[in-house]
Amino acid sequence: MARKSVTDQEPVARRTGRKRVDPYEVPDETPDEAPATKRRRGPNKPKPASVQSKAEKQAHVEDSAAEDEEGEHKLTNGVSQGDGDREEQETAQPVEEPTPVKKRLGRPPGSKNGGGGTPNGKTSTPSAARRKPAAAAETPLKLNGALNGIDTPSRRNFADRSARRKSARALIDRVVGDEISDEEEGIAREIYESSENDDDDNEQESPDERDEDHPTAATTPSKTPARRGRKPGTGTARKRSPTPPRDLPPQEPYFYHNKPGRAKTSNNTLSSLDLLTHDEYFSLLRQQQQQANQHADDVRFLQSLHAESFPQWAFELSQGFSACLYGYGSKRALIHQFAHHLSKTTGTHKSPPKIVIVNGYVPTTSIRDILTILHTAIVPPSTQRLAQGNPVAMTLTFLQTLTSLPSTTLYLLINSIDAPPLRKTSPQSILAQLASHPQIHLLCSADTPDFHLLWDSGLRSSFNFVFHDCTSFAPYEVDVVDEVHELLGRLARRAGGKDGVAFVLRSLPENAKSLFRLLVAEVLAMMDDGGGNNAGDGPGIEYRMLYNKAVEEFICSSEMAFRTLLKEFHDHQIITSHKDSIGTELLSLPFRKEELEGILEDLMS
Amino acid sequence: MAEVDETNTLVFQEDDHRTAYIFSPTDSAEHQAAPQNQNARPAKRRRTSKKGANAAEPDHEPQPQPQSDYHGGEADFPALFNGAESLDAVRLRRTTFETAWPVLSGRIQNVLRRANRKTLDEVALFMREAEDEAETAGGKIPAGFIITGPNIASQDLLFEQMAEGLSEATGAKVVRLRSAGAPNLKAVLKKIIRDATSRSADGGDDAEVSIGSDGRKYLNYDLEALHVFLAAHDSRRVIVAFEDSEAFDSGLLTDLIALFHSWHDRIHFSVLFGVATSVDLFQQRLLKATAQQLYGAQFDVVQADSVLESVFMGAVAGSQAALRLGPSLLQSLLERQKDQVAGVHTFISSLKYAYMCHFYANPLSVLLAEERLLTNELLQPQHLEAVRTLDSFKQHVEAAVDARQLSHAQSLLENDEYLVRQVLEQTQKRKDYMTQLLRSLHLITATGLHPGRFTDLYVSALADGIDLSSDVSPVLDSIRRLNPSQIIDLIHRLLAAISKGNPDLDLDGWEDQEESEELRSSLTEITDEVQALLDQSKLSGKPLKSKYSSQSKILRTTVVAQKVQLSHDTATLTEADKAFSTAVDNLTDLLSRFIHVDPIGSLFLHEAWVYDSKSPYRDVFVPRPATTFARALARPHDYLGCACCSKPDGGLACTFPTTSILYHLYLEAGALLNVADLWAAYYTLVGEESELALDERAALVRFYRGLAELRLMGFVKQSKKKADHVAKLKWL
Repeated sequence: MARKSVTDQEPVARRTGRKRVDPYEVPDETPDEAPATKRRRGPNKPKPASVQSKAEKQAHVEDSAAEDEEGEHKLTNGVSQGDGDREEQETAQPVEEPTPVKKRLGRPPGSKNGGGGTPNGKTSTPSAARRKPAAAAETPLKLNGALNGIDTPSRRNFADRSARRKSARALIDRVVGDEISDEEEGIAREIYESSENDDDDNEQESPDERDEDHPTAATTPSKTPARRGRKPGTGTARKRSPTPPRDLPPQEPYFYHNKPGRAKTSNNTLSSLDLLTHDEYFSLLRQQQQQANQHADDVRFLQSLHAESFPQWAFELSQGFSACLYGYGSKRALIHQFAHHLSKTTGTHKSPPKIVIVNGYVPTTSIRDILTILHTAIVPPSTQRLAQGNPVAMTLTFLQTLTSLPSTTLYLLINSIDAPPLRKTSPQSILAQLASHPQIHLLCSADTPDFHLLWDSGLRSSFNFVFHDCTSFAPYEVDVVDEVHELLGRLARRAGGKDGVAFVLRSLPENAKSLFRLLVAEVLAMMDDGGGNNAGDGPGIEYRMLYNKAVEEFICSSEMAFRTLLKEFHDHQIITSHKDSIGTELLSLPFRKEELEGILEDLMS
Repeated sequence: MAEVDETNTLVFQEDDHRTAYIFSPTDSAEHQAAPQNQNARPAKRRRTSKKGANAAEPDHEPQPQPQSDYHGGEADFPALFNGAESLDAVRLRRTTFETAWPVLSGRIQNVLRRANRKTLDEVALFMREAEDEAETAGGKIPAGFIITGPNIASQDLLFEQMAEGLSEATGAKVVRLRSAGAPNLKAVLKKIIRDATSRSADGGDDAEVSIGSDGRKYLNYDLEALHVFLAAHDSRRVIVAFEDSEAFDSGLLTDLIALFHSWHDRIHFSVLFGVATSVDLFQQRLLKATAQQLYGAQFDVVQADSVLESVFMGAVAGSQAALRLGPSLLQSLLERQKDQVAGVHTFISSLKYAYMCHFYANPLSVLLAEERLLTNELLQPQHLEAVRTLDSFKQHVEAAVDARQLSHAQSLLENDEYLVRQVLEQTQKRKDYMTQLLRSLHLITATGLHPGRFTDLYVSALADGIDLSSDVSPVLDSIRRLNPSQIIDLIHRLLAAISKGNPDLDLDGWEDQEESEELRSSLTEITDEVQALLDQSKLSGKPLKSKYSSQSKILRTTVVAQKVQLSHDTATLTEADKAFSTAVDNLTDLLSRFIHVDPIGSLFLHEAWVYDSKSPYRDVFVPRPATTFARALARPHDYLGCACCSKPDGGLACTFPTTSILYHLYLEAGALLNVADLWAAYYTLVGEESELALDERAALVRFYRGLAELRLMGFVKQSKKKADHVAKLKWL
């Protein structure tokens, strides 16, 4: 390896190493820094400016491209420097004017011993070459070795390099634009990794080289002592671990994880695992609840701690602040308790406080509904209804009504103000408008860690929030099974399984039932034939074929009627349709086989 | 989790699936009846979000009360001292708060209104003139561009005042528009007509309004309606204010302006734009044709910095502020104002919150009540005990012992009545201290020699006191360097300051009070002396200088043998110069004697009237939700305090809540997570070989819940890159 002997070049190499800001690297304390600089100031200066600028350039290139390569291998200090060195040569070469003797440092593939036998790589770049006289005087022998191994610039080497560069670019593109297809990516990755493996080989050999190096190094007493002194230390000084240290600011792991090149994950899938259905989930959950949970008491205790702050919250609300509860765990129960507290402590028996609770996590929540409910809370619904319309106008009307009833105070308690239905600007600005009204007191809970991005400074000042950490560890109210299946891409939208289908069919005419029975039977038959693979929605039946069968069975007489029936199914999401590669329309059922059998049984009985 | 879960996950109440509902306590009394076992409290490592950490000593920190206590009154403060605080004291704290804050709040509103006054007058003048020029201007619409700066939070007050002021000054109808309330042209017109005619909103999209005597009906977005209304009220002007004009759709603005222009012969529209950036940028968003229909003027609003300064003077430093905010809290408040673009309103909220905290949670805050209400009976033994545990009490007693006032010290410690008397006496001392502080600050600002802003001066005065003779203060040095006529000016300024006081600080002049007698007479003496010397020197033609000014002015640079030599020239001082120097010395001595304040922390019983705790403020206004979530998930025992999960090394245990385990695994993974592997890892941890020994399906149920919660919190999202993979979204 070149680095071993290019003592004079070393400061440059090290500087490039420094420029690369790698947070996972223990800063390399180099006790021999001073000697190194001294050496640089030695007689064989002045250092050519080209080296400097090259180093500069190198730093940039490496920032983007070379870093990931390093991240994946455990490199000792020495090796990483050598690597940097080599890299430098690579990128530098196109910039240099062609030197008479091309001295490429990387050992050409195949000649295993080439690099190893050239401890003196001073010949690599013109700058180093110019410095040669001084150094060469000390170790004349090694020059030969150097010339032996490195110089022939093999064609393949260049090809490899450009392929590698291309694949690196492809990988970067993928990460940035996400547009390359999987196959391409596979190829790119392969190329990239194969060249990495080359590097790997080089690096793995290096310890041996180092050992061999020692006796020869001893012959050059003027330079090596410092270097030798460092070598044992380097192993420990810049040790890398595959996982970054724990207490880093969050952006560091982010960049670490989003480096170019795909994160390596295994190809295991959940196919062997039987996913849970709603039924199974709830029956198991019920069972589990029979057993005591080890944290039940703790969770309850935590809740009671939060509950102790109720008077404080009530006071804050009464002083014109809005409260926002955040932290892990559902805060719904807590808010409900708080509503109890409010109803007990504020207001009188004749006029209890008006408390409206909003469940933001319900997917159908809309600001109109909220306003309507608020309106009915202050005005008996029989006398006056809030006209539906533009939410902004509704808000104005509502606030005017409220202002006209000065003795009314309204508590608005919102669960999950950061839930998707309320996340947009318009509901938030209306809520802020409500909150800034002196007769409305708002308390809300937030479930995501970055909820405060919902509000700009204007909204924030209308809300006039105080925040409280209400980590509760209570389970969130989510449709667990659906959420997970959607996350896994396994969720077919449908009307709640077997019972849902039965429910839908009950409201449809006899014809529709017959058609669905026919469809289920056909699909089951296909499943039995093994025609359907398990992917996606199961086997599909051809539209035309189903129509013909339906006509045969006198279910419908025209395609129009057939379409109408199917549309009903579509609307309830109990069938899905898609076109196959040649454009035939296929109808399929988003249910598993057992479910289908159950449905068929129900239909036949 | 038997009980909690039952209500949470299994048996969803009807209410929980509704968007919104009116809470009625009777229906759901049983809904959530988690028993409040308050007696068995193990020591918890819990983040206290409790207020009033400043309150006395830890053992007197307000303890949460059994619920029965605060169910009695109408939202009373909870009784402190573990509930031993008497109801009277509790009520007194509340009334004290309720009297103290409105005073301040009124002052602040005044300050804010005054700050906008100038802009307001200018705009009003412009609008009045525009009325006259309207004919000559060729039918252009007068437009006022008000440069409000980026802080949209403080615009509300400005436009409110503007609306009031302008409708008075010009007799026009003023309509305020915000971008949020103006989605399209029709909505805007409806709003304009509704606000200008001051009618309550009519329901329905196309409802008709009937205006005027002839009983004709108009659509509610028809400007004809407005025209008829204005004609009936003998007025022709309408001013439309766009508060956040950058946020308006530029197409909408163009349409509106064109429409206004076309109505110009019947209704005189004027427009006001609140501009956060600059008029140029704003103009670029309008069509040229539109811009040509406007003719306008630009108005600047007082910058937030100076508004903050005046609010600070009035509300924090002013003598009317009952509660003092301590230096460290103030410092962090001011820093937040600078670092984040937080408006003045944030500052005011924080101020209010500090007041709330103090009176809510510090039992000694009763001492701030009016003296006639502070009776001996009110102070309970607990109060005295609390006083005796204060740091400032200890300091005071120690100082007394050092000063050989042993009986005083002993009585303080043992004699309750003596202590009560002493405590009550502190009220007067507090007032004296405040007067001294404000006068000193006022004099320093009057010298005009203190660099930096009043806020900084005030904060440093509280923290370190004011001691002019110390090396830190630059004031005396600056005084010494002044020349004779400047000295005379300075003294005149000081005398004027003494006689006038400072209305911003609510500080009356104290010319006629005897304390100022000595200072004033000495100052006058010095002036006379300096004046005499000055006259003399004018006659003799020799400039008058002091030993300070001469030294600093003459500096010789000599170049000897290529070396630079600096030498001070100690010019000989004449007799007159010496006399002048003495006069300057006298002045500085005098000032450092009269301008002197101790640090606020050194006062006996300052805990009762100084609030200097940063933590509730920080927790409540600058939350760090990411950290909170990360902590809860990474180290659940911090919150749960359970024995099973607390490992000394913070490692992962199978007893962790599921989401927490998954979060740990999540942290170890890269940007893409394989759910199959996640499941495998999870199952290994809790599966049959572990302590929990869950079977596969049971573990899967938990796994599902954990994953669903991670998704709900926005940690993962679906990824299409690979089958059964999810993408990581959060790096906390």
